[in-house]
Amino acid sequence: MATTVLPRPKQYDDTFFKPISIWLTTTDHKLIGIMYMVTSIISFVIGGIFALIIRLQLSQPNLHIVDAETYNQIISAHGVTMIFFFVTIFVTGVANYMVPLMIGARDMAFPRVNLLGFWLIPVSIILYYCGFFTGGSLNAGWTGYAPLTEKAFNHGLGVDFWALSIMVWAISGIMASTNFLTTIVALRAPGMRFSRLPLFVWAQISTSILLLIVGAPLAAAMILLEFDRQLGTQFFTTQGRPVLYQHLFWFFGHPEVYVMILPAFGLVSEIVPVFARKPIFGYMSMVAAMFGIVFLSMTVWAHHMFTVGMNTYVEGFFMLMTMLIAVPTGIKFFNWIATAWWGSVEFTVPMKFVFGFLATFLIGGITGIFLASVPVDTQLHQSYYVVAHLHYVLFGGSVFAILAGIYYWFPKITGRLLNRTLGEWNFWTVFVGFNGTFLIMHTLGLEGMPRRIWTYANPAWATTNMIITISSFLIAFSILLFLINVVQSWNHGEIAGNDPWKGNTLEWATTSPPPPYNFERVPPVRSFMPVRDLREAGELVEQEPVLTAT
Amino acid sequence: MRFLPPIYFHLVARSARALITTIGLAGLAFVLSSCDLGGLSPIFPEPVSPNGKDIYDTYFYISLVAIAVFVGVEASLLWVVIRYRRSRQPAGYVVPQVHGHAGLEIAWTLAPLIIVLAIAAYSFVELQKNFQPINNQEMTVKVSGHQFGWEYDYLNGVVVHQEGSLAAEVTPFVVPTNTLIKLQFDANDVIHSWWVPSISGKTDAVPGYDNFSWLKIDKPGKWRGECAELCGSGHAQMQIMMQAMDKADFDAWMAKQKAATTSPSPSPSPSPA
Repeated sequence: MATTVLPRPKQYDDTFFKPISIWLTTTDHKLIGIMYMVTSIISFVIGGIFALIIRLQLSQPNLHIVDAETYNQIISAHGVTMIFFFVTIFVTGVANYMVPLMIGARDMAFPRVNLLGFWLIPVSIILYYCGFFTGGSLNAGWTGYAPLTEKAFNHGLGVDFWALSIMVWAISGIMASTNFLTTIVALRAPGMRFSRLPLFVWAQISTSILLLIVGAPLAAAMILLEFDRQLGTQFFTTQGRPVLYQHLFWFFGHPEVYVMILPAFGLVSEIVPVFARKPIFGYMSMVAAMFGIVFLSMTVWAHHMFTVGMNTYVEGFFMLMTMLIAVPTGIKFFNWIATAWWGSVEFTVPMKFVFGFLATFLIGGITGIFLASVPVDTQLHQSYYVVAHLHYVLFGGSVFAILAGIYYWFPKITGRLLNRTLGEWNFWTVFVGFNGTFLIMHTLGLEGMPRRIWTYANPAWATTNMIITISSFLIAFSILLFLINVVQSWNHGEIAGNDPWKGNTLEWATTSPPPPYNFERVPPVRSFMPVRDLREAGELVEQEPVLTAT
Repeated sequence: MRFLPPIYFHLVARSARALITTIGLAGLAFVLSSCDLGGLSPIFPEPVSPNGKDIYDTYFYISLVAIAVFVGVEASLLWVVIRYRRSRQPAGYVVPQVHGHAGLEIAWTLAPLIIVLAIAAYSFVELQKNFQPINNQEMTVKVSGHQFGWEYDYLNGVVVHQEGSLAAEVTPFVVPTNTLIKLQFDANDVIHSWWVPSISGKTDAVPGYDNFSWLKIDKPGKWRGECAELCGSGHAQMQIMMQAMDKADFDAWMAKQKAATTSPSPSPSPSPA
């Protein structure tokens, strides 16, 4: 059926290489989304290089590849970069791109706030890295516990730059959250009731609520720390209350884990039904589970503090609430499996990454139960067991889901498919490398290797550390394949067409890449799988593909 | 909408068989891995203090549940990969459009709930038993952390200075065996954390904040530990050496220390503030 194709504005060229003036000034949620994602991938590479330096330093006992002070700066920069500048930024970017498309909107509710929110991120990143050029960056771990970050023990500007950077980051996060919530509430297409929102959009609602609530306490902790450092107050100093800092930080810090993992849950909930050709199992319980997680995640922060010596009843409360998070997470897990059960599951690269996510995130979830148990945690806390656990959650969880999301939505964003062969190599090498790195890392913690140590003398840990280091380079190789794939396919990949996966949600109804206004005509929405409904009814309007083979 | 396709019973039988095989194999793997493989132990070192033993047991019992859950869920994922992949489905397979099932969803809400409540209850009992402040101790030692070492004050004038070092063995903190000892923690500068895995869990030494732990070691020996809270550039060298002696040996050691304290010490260890 022939439809009149609206002329596309000249400034919105279909290639990625647009004039820089467009990138700098655009308020288009899609271009801003791309900028978020590209920024975060650059951070991922930088954070990865830090990780490799860490692994080289620890590969054998008593090595001296970097000195202890530099090592402490590197582990801090690795944590801050990966958590604040990679995962959180990436999920914000992908949501920026996809949420308006998925709800059938033309743009975000506040395009210029979106623009400002994005540009605060490079400011935040540059502020953080300024520390490296002014005599030493943050050297107290990404958590920056006081009093180690106080003036008495940390004279340099690194801590100040970090605190400023995190404040700016928190403001940006609050802007993005407000924007997402307003967009989703106000700009849904006709028929897109809340009960028909794609689960990725629900994930974004829950993430935004979480970040809105916990972003401010984080900024407050940083401001109080700066008062201590610059104005001589005594909030967290040796004379003050160092433990108060931990409460403030973890009240943000733990929900932040869910800020990073809930969008991953949303991604998985979108991808599994498409490739299993079955609707998501238990839509309502999926939504309820997300809000269960939002609520519970704000009542568990002190499980990071079981060794500071709290009252045992307080510890018991935080232990119980932490363990309860396993319930909504379990619901989601079983629902995903049930979605694929009896399906006709196509193991494309995104689906492989989703199954990689399920297989590895499960381990992170289970070790979380061990860590939640107060007596056991007193042994595992601050050891390599925790490092392994958190990487199973953030790498095996978030990063696998992010990679799945990239393989899934790359054709929509660029109009071209990522190369499948490279994708398969990418998946298998990262899966083997990841488990090789982090599975045996648990045993190091059990045997008494504390985290954040610059080096160690114990020869019993040497072999395990060597295996870990070798595996970590396999991850790096895999990420290199991924980057080659992205760059190569962006220019020369196979033309995807508008709907290469036979998707369920509205973004697949428009062209790849979508025009600036997203939809010529917003398709009717009759369920939470509007595009699938149209396809089955034979009503899917074939848009003229934007890209043609050249 | 069909909830149970006709191949259901056949599938259940096959999946049950696959599940049992997988659990058997994984169980075997676990038993094998429990044998000490050197550097790859799946559990803590054998503890020598009752509170450490309780932690060890708690870890072990949680492991049993955790391994069952792990094997069950991974097996069902594997089953989906093997059985429901598109290439394995017959041509013209009509995918049942199942939107959910209240009974199942309630079941897998309640099952994890019951499991975690049981684990939490068990852990809470342990918590009440071993983590309350004690006052029936036979001896008290004040442990104080600084950048980068530990002081052990026996409250009788004897103080062991354990300056951190990676190059040589550090001065041991000596205690008598079979004696209930209360440890009181403090720090002079930043937060440190005292951890000897063979004894028990770690305890943070927070400046200006009372914290405590206890130990009762059942055999003579030496055990290593480390500071577990990043405390600056010397964090890695903040090694701990713990030594337990028979009561008689300990008394002799203590007498020697007292004599050394009353006469001027030949090697005052520097303690940076």
